[in-house]
Amino acid sequence: MENSIKVERAILNLTQDDLAKKIGVSRQTINSIEANRYVPSTVLALKLSELFNKPVNDFFKLGDDD
Amino acid sequence: MGIHKVTECERTKLESFLDKFQLPNVFKKVGITLFLLSFIGLTIIKFTENEQLWVRPALKQAMLVGLLVISISREKIEDELIQILRSKSYALAFIIGVIYIMLQPLVNQVVNFILGTSEAPDNMGYVQVLLFMLLIQVGFFEVLKRNR
Repeated sequence: MENSIKVERAILNLTQDDLAKKIGVSRQTINSIEANRYVPSTVLALKLSELFNKPVNDFFKLGDDD
Repeated sequence: MGIHKVTECERTKLESFLDKFQLPNVFKKVGITLFLLSFIGLTIIKFTENEQLWVRPALKQAMLVGLLVISISREKIEDELIQILRSKSYALAFIIGVIYIMLQPLVNQVVNFILGTSEAPDNMGYVQVLLFMLLIQVGFFEVLKRNR
Protein backbone atom coordinates (compact mmCIF):
# COMPACT_ATOMS: atom_id res chain seq x y z
CA MET A 1 0.00 0.00 0.00
CA GLU A 2 1.34 3.41 -0.98
CA ASN A 3 0.01 6.77 0.09
CA SER A 4 0.42 10.48 -0.51
CA ILE A 5 -0.57 11.68 2.96
CA LYS A 6 2.60 13.76 3.17
CA VAL A 7 1.62 15.66 0.00
CA GLU A 8 -1.98 16.15 1.13
CA ARG A 9 -0.74 17.37 4.49
CA ALA A 10 1.61 19.83 2.79
CA ILE A 11 -1.27 21.17 0.65
CA LEU A 12 -3.21 21.96 3.83
CA ASN A 13 -0.02 23.31 5.43
CA LEU A 14 -0.31 20.95 8.41
CA THR A 15 2.48 19.45 10.48
CA GLN A 16 2.37 15.77 11.47
CA ASP A 17 1.40 16.89 14.96
CA ASP A 18 -1.47 19.10 13.66
CA LEU A 19 -2.84 16.27 11.52
CA ALA A 20 -2.50 13.80 14.41
CA LYS A 21 -4.49 16.09 16.71
CA LYS A 22 -7.19 16.62 14.09
CA ILE A 23 -7.87 12.90 13.66
CA GLY A 24 -7.16 11.86 17.26
CA VAL A 25 -4.00 9.79 16.91
CA SER A 26 -0.37 10.24 17.95
CA ARG A 27 2.26 11.99 15.81
CA GLN A 28 4.18 8.70 15.61
CA THR A 29 1.13 7.01 14.04
CA ILE A 30 1.04 9.67 11.27
CA ASN A 31 4.78 9.17 10.79
CA SER A 32 4.31 5.39 10.50
CA ILE A 33 1.49 5.82 7.96
CA GLU A 34 3.51 8.27 5.86
CA ALA A 35 6.51 5.92 5.91
CA ASN A 36 4.25 3.01 4.79
CA ARG A 37 5.07 1.08 7.96
CA TYR A 38 1.43 1.01 9.00
CA VAL A 39 -1.79 0.75 7.00
CA PRO A 40 -4.56 2.56 8.91
CA SER A 41 -8.04 1.20 9.58
CA THR A 42 -11.04 2.12 7.45
CA VAL A 43 -12.19 4.54 10.15
CA LEU A 44 -8.90 6.43 10.14
CA ALA A 45 -8.79 6.43 6.34
CA LEU A 46 -12.30 7.92 6.27
CA LYS A 47 -11.32 10.57 8.81
CA LEU A 48 -8.39 11.52 6.56
CA SER A 49 -10.71 11.55 3.57
CA GLU A 50 -13.07 13.93 5.35
CA LEU A 51 -10.20 16.20 6.36
CA PHE A 52 -8.56 16.28 2.91
CA ASN A 53 -12.00 16.49 1.26
CA LYS A 54 -11.00 13.77 -1.21
CA PRO A 55 -11.98 10.12 -1.73
CA VAL A 56 -9.77 7.58 0.09
CA ASN A 57 -8.33 6.10 -3.12
CA ASP A 58 -7.01 9.52 -4.12
CA PHE A 59 -4.32 9.27 -1.46
CA PHE A 60 -4.14 5.49 -0.82
CA LYS A 61 -3.03 3.29 -3.70
CA LEU A 62 -2.49 -0.47 -3.88
CA GLY A 63 1.17 -1.34 -4.39
CA ASP A 64 2.57 -4.03 -6.69
CA ASP A 65 2.79 -6.49 -3.78
CA ASP A 66 -0.88 -6.07 -2.76
CA MET B 1 -23.38 6.74 7.14
CA GLY B 2 -21.38 9.07 9.41
CA ILE B 3 -17.87 8.31 10.59
CA HIS B 4 -19.12 7.79 14.15
CA LYS B 5 -21.57 5.11 12.98
CA VAL B 6 -18.83 3.39 10.94
CA THR B 7 -16.71 3.29 14.12
CA GLU B 8 -19.58 1.70 16.02
CA CYS B 9 -19.99 -0.93 13.27
CA GLU B 10 -16.36 -1.97 13.58
CA ARG B 11 -16.56 -2.49 17.32
CA THR B 12 -18.11 -5.50 18.92
CA LYS B 13 -19.44 -5.45 22.48
CA LEU B 14 -16.38 -7.40 23.62
CA GLU B 15 -14.05 -4.78 22.14
CA SER B 16 -15.85 -1.95 23.92
CA PHE B 17 -15.65 -3.96 27.17
CA LEU B 18 -11.89 -4.38 26.69
CA ASP B 19 -11.56 -0.62 26.15
CA LYS B 20 -13.17 0.02 29.54
CA PHE B 21 -10.97 -2.66 31.15
CA GLN B 22 -7.84 -0.51 30.79
CA LEU B 23 -6.59 1.83 33.50
CA PRO B 24 -5.85 5.54 32.95
CA ASN B 25 -2.29 6.54 32.02
CA VAL B 26 -1.44 7.81 35.54
CA PHE B 27 -1.58 4.22 36.80
CA LYS B 28 1.51 3.41 34.75
CA LYS B 29 3.63 5.40 37.22
CA VAL B 30 1.87 3.64 40.13
CA GLY B 31 2.71 0.27 38.55
CA ILE B 32 6.36 1.22 37.92
CA THR B 33 6.71 2.46 41.54
CA LEU B 34 5.15 -0.72 42.94
CA PHE B 35 7.35 -2.90 40.72
CA LEU B 36 10.56 -1.04 41.65
CA LEU B 37 9.75 -0.98 45.39
CA SER B 38 9.02 -4.72 45.45
CA PHE B 39 12.18 -5.41 43.42
CA ILE B 40 14.27 -3.35 45.87
CA GLY B 41 12.51 -5.12 48.78
CA LEU B 42 13.30 -8.56 47.32
CA THR B 43 16.95 -7.54 46.82
CA ILE B 44 17.22 -6.30 50.41
CA ILE B 45 15.69 -9.43 52.00
CA LYS B 46 18.17 -11.55 50.03
CA PHE B 47 20.91 -10.12 52.29
CA THR B 48 18.99 -10.20 55.57
CA GLU B 49 19.15 -13.13 57.96
CA ASN B 50 15.93 -12.91 59.96
CA GLU B 51 13.42 -13.03 57.16
CA GLN B 52 9.71 -13.29 57.96
CA LEU B 53 8.02 -16.12 56.06
CA TRP B 54 5.31 -13.91 54.55
CA VAL B 55 7.61 -11.15 53.26
CA ARG B 56 9.02 -12.82 50.14
CA PRO B 57 5.65 -14.12 48.75
CA ALA B 58 4.02 -10.77 49.54
CA LEU B 59 6.76 -8.87 47.66
CA LYS B 60 6.48 -11.25 44.70
CA GLN B 61 2.71 -10.69 44.59
CA ALA B 62 3.29 -6.92 44.76
CA MET B 63 5.73 -7.21 41.85
CA LEU B 64 3.10 -9.14 39.85
CA VAL B 65 0.44 -6.53 40.60
CA GLY B 66 2.87 -3.74 39.62
CA LEU B 67 3.63 -5.37 36.26
CA LEU B 68 -0.06 -6.06 35.62
CA VAL B 69 -0.92 -2.41 36.33
CA ILE B 70 1.83 -1.26 33.91
CA SER B 71 0.54 -3.76 31.34
CA ILE B 72 -3.11 -2.64 31.40
CA SER B 73 -2.48 1.12 31.73
CA ARG B 74 -3.37 3.24 28.72
CA GLU B 75 -0.83 5.29 26.83
CA LYS B 76 -1.18 9.09 26.81
CA ILE B 77 -2.61 8.78 23.29
CA GLU B 78 -4.16 5.34 22.97
CA ASP B 79 -4.77 5.10 19.22
CA GLU B 80 -5.31 2.11 16.92
CA LEU B 81 -1.59 1.60 16.22
CA ILE B 82 -0.87 1.38 19.97
CA GLN B 83 -3.70 -1.16 20.35
CA ILE B 84 -2.22 -3.29 17.55
CA LEU B 85 1.25 -3.12 19.11
CA ARG B 86 -0.22 -4.04 22.50
CA SER B 87 -1.95 -7.09 20.98
CA LYS B 88 1.29 -8.14 19.28
CA SER B 89 3.20 -7.85 22.56
CA TYR B 90 0.62 -10.05 24.36
CA ALA B 91 0.84 -12.65 21.58
CA LEU B 92 4.64 -12.65 21.74
CA ALA B 93 4.62 -12.90 25.55
CA PHE B 94 2.24 -15.87 25.40
CA ILE B 95 4.28 -17.76 22.79
CA ILE B 96 7.64 -17.04 24.46
CA GLY B 97 6.12 -17.94 27.87
CA VAL B 98 4.97 -21.35 26.61
CA ILE B 99 8.38 -22.01 25.00
CA TYR B 100 10.08 -20.95 28.27
CA ILE B 101 7.95 -23.39 30.31
CA MET B 102 8.69 -26.22 27.87
CA LEU B 103 12.43 -25.57 27.61
CA GLN B 104 13.22 -24.71 31.25
CA PRO B 105 13.27 -28.36 32.53
CA LEU B 106 15.34 -29.37 29.49
CA VAL B 107 17.87 -26.58 30.17
CA ASN B 108 18.08 -27.72 33.80
CA GLN B 109 18.75 -31.29 32.65
CA VAL B 110 21.50 -30.14 30.25
CA VAL B 111 23.12 -27.96 32.95
CA ASN B 112 22.96 -30.87 35.43
CA PHE B 113 24.51 -33.19 32.83
CA ILE B 114 27.34 -30.76 32.05
CA LEU B 115 28.06 -29.99 35.72
CA GLY B 116 27.65 -33.63 36.73
CA THR B 117 25.13 -32.72 39.43
CA SER B 118 21.84 -34.48 40.09
CA GLU B 119 19.59 -31.80 41.48
CA ALA B 120 15.90 -32.58 41.76
CA PRO B 121 13.83 -30.95 39.00
CA ASP B 122 12.74 -27.52 40.12
CA ASN B 123 8.99 -26.99 39.71
CA MET B 124 8.26 -23.55 38.36
CA GLY B 125 5.76 -21.59 40.41
CA TYR B 126 2.96 -19.62 38.81
CA VAL B 127 4.57 -16.40 40.06
CA GLN B 128 7.78 -17.11 38.14
CA VAL B 129 5.88 -17.89 34.92
CA LEU B 130 3.55 -14.90 35.20
CA LEU B 131 6.44 -12.54 36.06
CA PHE B 132 8.33 -13.80 33.01
CA MET B 133 5.34 -13.38 30.69
CA LEU B 134 4.46 -9.92 32.00
CA LEU B 135 8.09 -8.78 31.76
CA ILE B 136 8.23 -10.02 28.15
CA GLN B 137 4.94 -8.27 27.33
CA VAL B 138 5.94 -4.94 28.89
CA GLY B 139 9.43 -5.13 27.35
CA PHE B 140 8.26 -6.02 23.84
CA PHE B 141 5.52 -3.39 23.96
CA GLU B 142 8.11 -0.70 24.78
CA VAL B 143 10.42 -1.94 21.98
CA LEU B 144 7.57 -2.06 19.43
CA LYS B 145 6.39 1.39 20.54
CA ARG B 146 9.84 2.90 20.07
CA ASN B 147 10.23 1.33 16.62
CA ARG B 148 6.77 2.22 15.32
